[in-house]
Amino acid sequence: MRGRKAVVGLCAVGGIIILWFALTSWFGIIPAGRFPTPAQFWVALKQIELRGYAGSTLVDHALHSLRLIVISFLVAVGTGIPLGLLMGWNRRAEALINPVFMLIRPIPPLAWIPLAILWLGLGDAAKVMVIWFAAFVPSVINAHAGVRNIDKSVIEAARMLGTPPLRMAGEVIVPASLPMIFTGLRLSLQASWTTLVAAELVGALVGVGFVLNMAQQDIYPAMILVGMLTVGVLGWATTFVLGLVERRVLSWSLQGRG
Amino acid sequence: MGSIRFEGVGKVFGNARTGFKALDDVSLAIGEKEFVAIVGPSGCGKTTCLRMVAGFEGVSAGKVLVNDRPVVRPGADRAVVFQQFALFPWKTVRQNIEFGLRNKRIGKDQRDHLVAGSLKLMSLESHGDAYPHQLSGGMQQRVAIARAYVLDPDVLLMDEPFGALDAQTRVVMQEELVRLARVNPRTVLFITHAVEEAVYLADRVAIMSRRPGTIKEIIDVKTVRLAERWDGHERIEDVMDLESFVHLRTRIWKSLREEKAEIGH
Amino acid sequence: MDSAPLTLGQTLRLGLIGLFVFFGIWLLLPTAGLVPPSFLPSPIAVAERVATLTTEPFAGATLPAHIAYSFTRFIAGFALAALIGIPLGLMMGWFRLVDEIVSPIFDGLRFIAPIAWVPFAALWFGTGIGGPVMIIFAGAFPPCVINAYRGARQVDRRLVEAAEMLGTGHFRMIVDILLPASVPSLVAGLRVAAGLGWQSLVGAELIVASTGVGFMMVQAQANVATSTVMAGMVAIGIVGLAIDMALRWTEASIRRHRGLDG
Repeated sequence: MRGRKAVVGLCAVGGIIILWFALTSWFGIIPAGRFPTPAQFWVALKQIELRGYAGSTLVDHALHSLRLIVISFLVAVGTGIPLGLLMGWNRRAEALINPVFMLIRPIPPLAWIPLAILWLGLGDAAKVMVIWFAAFVPSVINAHAGVRNIDKSVIEAARMLGTPPLRMAGEVIVPASLPMIFTGLRLSLQASWTTLVAAELVGALVGVGFVLNMAQQDIYPAMILVGMLTVGVLGWATTFVLGLVERRVLSWSLQGRG
Repeated sequence: MGSIRFEGVGKVFGNARTGFKALDDVSLAIGEKEFVAIVGPSGCGKTTCLRMVAGFEGVSAGKVLVNDRPVVRPGADRAVVFQQFALFPWKTVRQNIEFGLRNKRIGKDQRDHLVAGSLKLMSLESHGDAYPHQLSGGMQQRVAIARAYVLDPDVLLMDEPFGALDAQTRVVMQEELVRLARVNPRTVLFITHAVEEAVYLADRVAIMSRRPGTIKEIIDVKTVRLAERWDGHERIEDVMDLESFVHLRTRIWKSLREEKAEIGH
Repeated sequence: MDSAPLTLGQTLRLGLIGLFVFFGIWLLLPTAGLVPPSFLPSPIAVAERVATLTTEPFAGATLPAHIAYSFTRFIAGFALAALIGIPLGLMMGWFRLVDEIVSPIFDGLRFIAPIAWVPFAALWFGTGIGGPVMIIFAGAFPPCVINAYRGARQVDRRLVEAAEMLGTGHFRMIVDILLPASVPSLVAGLRVAAGLGWQSLVGAELIVASTGVGFMMVQAQANVATSTVMAGMVAIGIVGLAIDMALRWTEASIRRHRGLDG
């Protein structure tokens, strides 16, 4: 079963690549001005890596974007998860904060980009701000829901075992909410990439979004494809790392077993 | 140490005027090292009685006293075994059992000693490093009982602890609990809806009625058990075959049946 | 939870305190001269700006006209995503071969942020209607596919077997059994799709467009018209919320109709 799946999957991916050759290089059904041929893609890739494009090499653009994502993501979840946990555990905090949160929540993170540029300019600070908004909301919501969905009898068991407050938070409430928190982290990470790419497309001096922006202005389809694939690879790599962390942290859970 | 007293306890859920009256004038005294089971139809408020001793629920009228002091909040002197086990899934068996001891600020060496003894007592030695989800229901409940017993609590509160287990496992656990009670007697308040389980395990059985929930009758099992030498039989089915057992069981059944007939009207 | 549920009065009081503090600080910062109003206009200034924008055009149109442009694009992209995504998801759920062919490609493309399609969208479909519509499509398409697929896979086996026994063909099976049975999952997917589609649209309009709320905001940003930027954010938030509420209402009424909420 597994074998068949892998074979069909490989055939599908191989088919796409052959189709790409066929439609562009061999029969020219799609003009090169619309979508690059594999050869053009290869040339663009060599160009950006060896001589650089939009001011840097591909690796430098990618590392810059990656650094921004990691920093902003950690800041956002570092603030969002505690707030969500607080709102889940303390009804007064929830009543106080929830209306303000509901007011800000419908504004999509991308809509903060113009304001972030007005406030902080085209540099990294503005990107950190918009990614913070993007990643903050899902981490708050899921940490909140995580606390709310804790099995009541587990809390009661901890109470009857005489658990002091700090240990209650650290060894009962946080671990019990972790599966939901990780659901939130995955959404946060996805939102972070979308937002960063958009922010770099709107205004930046370096980064994968900036590569896309320059390639669009130069009408350089091969470089657009290079930029897009880089975005995909980076998104996949960060999701993969998050998955590794999740599997390690949640090794005790039923989901971790499958 | 280890007495429980209900004195004219009432409980109303929701608004005092329009709310639902769950318990009315419940009075029951459980002596030191005595095993009392409460049986009753579902919804009669028997679990609420236990939760009030545990400190999860307050009283609306009367008093609940443990060691002659009113119950204020949950605490490790009153260990609870829940129907759904309520183990911490992110902790190993060993860590689950150890958790309450850490809260009591017991030193590492003594903790290890107590946990090891507890694992041995409940035949869990080879599962110390397993996570709860890797164990069967019966094994999980052994861990929950070990977690309660290891604290050396004044009273042990068991809320239908075998209700979620299959019939075979249930019988094994009942025998286990009897063995445990002989090795290490405790004051136990045991909630169940299974009459046979109550008669087999308890010194006294309190029968509760519904609407309002109150104690209708208290039946002494211990006298019969000692007189008829139930303890001489290894297996639960041999005890259940004894005429004296059948007699007590039938008596409790009748009392519960009357209860249901009254509701029919 | 640490305490008993709060009464309605307590909840309202605390909520109002929270809102009061939020708006109080926002009002105080510019009016007390702590930050220049061009940096952070007061909530009153933003509200006034929303009001004047309903009649006075900015970046070529009034605010309602910009909203109308954005909303038209959104509907087009969203409808396209649903019309292509749902049948594809259902087919993946029914035909194993389709699943095995599409899944690896789909999983690969999923990691490309929808907004990264902007350059190709502009190149292929221009910056008027087509380009932005494609971006919305890129945002809304994956949740449509995933939820249709999930809905089809979760259909009760017995239902399928009963239909097979009655001699149902592939097409009938998908249209008459899988589609209706997976409606609750589909509507949940549409809600996610609408949220992602709406935010992708805003992103697309910031980058390539010459009308729409996003375009208005980016023009305002270039002119350092902060109150107009924030008026745009308010408009985007309100329209997004309205779309979500409409779909939420649909979802709730379908679930109720199906007897899924006891």
